[in-house]
Amino acid sequence: MAAPFEKYLEPLAIEGERDIVSARERVRDAARGLGFSAVELTLLATAVSEIARNIIEYAGHGTISLRLSDSGRNPGIEVVAEDRGPGIENIELALQDGYSTRRSLGMGLPGARRLVDEFQIESTVGKGTRVILRKWKTSTKAA
Amino acid sequence: MTEEELSHRMKVIQFTEEDVARLKKLSPYAREYAEPVIEEFYRHLLSFEEMRAFFPDRRTLDYVKRKQKEYFVRLTEGDYGMKYVEDRLLIGAVHEKIDLPIKTYLAMYAYYENQVASRLRAAFAGHADEAFDVFLSLIKLIRLDMILAIDAYSLRREQTIRQQEEAIRELSTPVLRIRDRLLILPIIGLIDRKRATQITAQLLTSIRNARARVIVIDITGVPVVDTDTANHLVQTVEAARLLGAQVITTGLSSEIAQTIVRLGVDLSRLNTVGDLQGGVEEAERILGYRVIRGEGGSSYLEAG
Repeated sequence: MAAPFEKYLEPLAIEGERDIVSARERVRDAARGLGFSAVELTLLATAVSEIARNIIEYAGHGTISLRLSDSGRNPGIEVVAEDRGPGIENIELALQDGYSTRRSLGMGLPGARRLVDEFQIESTVGKGTRVILRKWKTSTKAA
Repeated sequence: MTEEELSHRMKVIQFTEEDVARLKKLSPYAREYAEPVIEEFYRHLLSFEEMRAFFPDRRTLDYVKRKQKEYFVRLTEGDYGMKYVEDRLLIGAVHEKIDLPIKTYLAMYAYYENQVASRLRAAFAGHADEAFDVFLSLIKLIRLDMILAIDAYSLRREQTIRQQEEAIRELSTPVLRIRDRLLILPIIGLIDRKRATQITAQLLTSIRNARARVIVIDITGVPVVDTDTANHLVQTVEAARLLGAQVITTGLSSEIAQTIVRLGVDLSRLNTVGDLQGGVEEAERILGYRVIRGEGGSSYLEAG
């Protein structure tokens, strides 16, 4: 199917609200460069916003890196969000709508998952969390 | 800067224990030459018109000369750890504060280097290789100091930018009264927690002061609405409702509408109208106004 992600962009440190904006601007620029449509750009930028905010809320700080694939027939972006925070005890629960250990709406992770084509999460309690999002220019997921 | 970053930078400029040892050997010379080198340094500096302004009086000049001599000797004393870095960052910040351009600050090092080179040549007469190695070690350390100065300068600039951003934020959420009991709140840019709190506070005060019944919040200028932003918006609307005002939200782009639906955020509590004009018309209807087209195309309002 799609080509591997051959282009790496330097990781962006996520330490405060302003970095959330930088992260989504960066992903928006990258996706625009690959020819994503306005709707796809907004979906992806919003997903990145959600996972970046999760880093700040739960881990305090972390990084977001982008990998691009633009040589194949269907260009795509992979977003990797990593933190060394407390980790998630029950991933299944965290991916349920309305579940939050904070006062938020609890839509962050499940919401982000619905905005992208592929979603992976790995988390170890006490070690940290890694969330991987992938989105292709021509979405492989029905809207 | 952290310990980790410092050791990384040292690696990048290839500053090793060998360099530290070489520099330490220079210490007796540095002590001996500090006085004449610094005196000559300032004589050179003050020969430039633009530099004189930074040394308004004798006391300032004596003070910085003393500091420079300390620095000159310090360069050869080893122990270039975190304490050293913090001192250098502080010095950089002080220079930024007095508006000394960074190019001037960095240019000063050239004179230093020339002075030291000629004295090393004399002190190591007949040992050119050794003199060259020592000089290289010194250049590496000076390079580190320059990097730190640039760090200090940019950090202070960033702080200034941040303060200005705050100021712009304060100014960027005007609550406008366009009819009796009707307010408009255009939101442009990012809505984070801090701004949401500020917007809500400002809106609630305005509702009281204007005894407003309807508010149109226009979010055409908000580029991304994630769950957090949506949450803030809902809370602002709820707070306004508790004061007896109705909120109409306008300006949701089709992209944002699709995103919100996919995210699964429930915005059913928001009364949304397509664009600002539609929102104002809806508000006027709620307040019982009727707009009537007059002769010559002018229109006027009639309270219903």
